[in-house]
Amino acid sequence: MAVFQSDVEVYDYIGEFISSVKDDPAIGPKIRQAGIIIRFVYREPQSQITIDARNPAPEGHFYTVYYGDSAVEPDLVMSMSADTAHSFWLGKVNLMAALTRGQIVAKGPVATALKLLPVIQPTYAMYPKFLKEHGREELVKFG
Amino acid sequence: MLPEYFEFFVPARIAAGRGMSGSLGPEMEKLGVRRAFVVTDQVLMQLGLVQKVLDGLAGSAVEVAGIFDEVRPNSEVGLVEKGPGDLPELARVAGADVLVAIGGGSNIDTAKGMNIILSEGGHLLDYEGFGVITRPLKPLVAIPTTAGTGSEVTQFAVIKHEAIHTKLSFSSPYLAPNLAILDPELTVNLPPKLTASTGMDALTHAVETYVSTSWNPIADGLALEAIRIIGANLVEATTNGGNLEARYQMLVASTMAGMAFSSGMVGCVHAMAHAAGGLFDVPHGIANSILLPYGMEYNLEARPEKFREIARALGNDVEDQDPKAGGWTAIEAVFDLAERCGLPRALSEAGVPEEGLPTMAEAAMVDGAIFTNPRPAEYDEILAVLKKAY
Ligand SMILES: [Fe+2]
Repeated sequence: MAVFQSDVEVYDYIGEFISSVKDDPAIGPKIRQAGIIIRFVYREPQSQITIDARNPAPEGHFYTVYYGDSAVEPDLVMSMSADTAHSFWLGKVNLMAALTRGQIVAKGPVATALKLLPVIQPTYAMYPKFLKEHGREELVKFG
Repeated sequence: MLPEYFEFFVPARIAAGRGMSGSLGPEMEKLGVRRAFVVTDQVLMQLGLVQKVLDGLAGSAVEVAGIFDEVRPNSEVGLVEKGPGDLPELARVAGADVLVAIGGGSNIDTAKGMNIILSEGGHLLDYEGFGVITRPLKPLVAIPTTAGTGSEVTQFAVIKHEAIHTKLSFSSPYLAPNLAILDPELTVNLPPKLTASTGMDALTHAVETYVSTSWNPIADGLALEAIRIIGANLVEATTNGGNLEARYQMLVASTMAGMAFSSGMVGCVHAMAHAAGGLFDVPHGIANSILLPYGMEYNLEARPEKFREIARALGNDVEDQDPKAGGWTAIEAVFDLAERCGLPRALSEAGVPEEGLPTMAEAAMVDGAIFTNPRPAEYDEILAVLKKAY
């Protein structure tokens, strides 16, 4: 059974988690510095999250996060199951291996995503806490 | 301990032997193809090498549908998709059912890019990335005339996009050629400097993949044997280019290194070399040759035992050396090898301006190759390596 039952759940947890980092003083500026737009296209359940670190972000944020369809044109599109995405944010996915196995397909300049990996490393510890704070601690074991 | 997961990619059928290109026809018949479109360059045309290869089709059921002989030293998007009159269009009009790339990495990568558009249509930018190509393309035959890039067996292609000043990287098992013909007679004309620098590129593939975070035991075996062969033959192939045995050894070793790094990937040396090439036009092999010992030094602490094995493969007795000392022996052996081949030993000798080093470090930090480097590298550390190599 999939970790998330609907696109709304994907947005409530993965989406809101990514959004929660957008004013983080340590991580936010580094994502901003990458200056790119990444779209995550998930399946099971079908959903889509776009991080825009290129266009100006609202006051106090380092980037903008869109749920579902959005008009911004991404530099890089990463496609995977929502389960893989969940595991990824728990720090349990080796991106290189996942790309090789085809669990994640990266369309565009992959190096830009690889460059962000060390930047988002600290978030792997933050995601389980976020789930706990939002009453979904049980999801952590579905990494 | 084995990697938790690894994938080893078994690529093309490899047909190797002195004069092997003379059997091109029968070898291609096994692919079930009939009309070949050839992708090559002017230098090889003038040397008569293309004709020599195509003579190998005589008496076979395979005919030449067309020849494109204007690939330049970098594969370029403009050749592959400028619309009417571009390469895929020419091949389509010619009724080609197979592509034959003759030459170095640029020619082979150009043919790979061309094959994407010929088989799938659209634009190259639509296929950039990892795993975007999801089904078999048209058959591709690769006939290398240098012993270095390994492109004849890899699932990668790098193509320069002039308009946006960037290099597009493609990775998919379907990009790999279906047949690689290794004929040392095609490499005897390679001048000493190119022989040496392309050979050092092959050595860099083998060394970097052997110590990479994406290592796997199958690639390790190929890489280590490639290191041994290159260590034993590169100087001879460089200084006595007519020695067909040394040429043959180098050609096979570079293909083995290509097979290894197709799954094992490379590391910081390639990241820095890509930067040197992109920013200052330093030839890929030259940049690798200069940077390899410094990259090894940086990575030594992450893989001391493996570096000692490299020293052994390069012909050194390291029985009495602890891993780190053995690793240093490997670094010195690589430095020495490049020197004996007469290659430049410092970035300052290769046309890199000193004030360009920070930009180079920045570019290396966003190069995909750095991701599988065995020791994590920050900007300051890469800059320090570049300064040492200057
Ligand atoms: Fe290389």
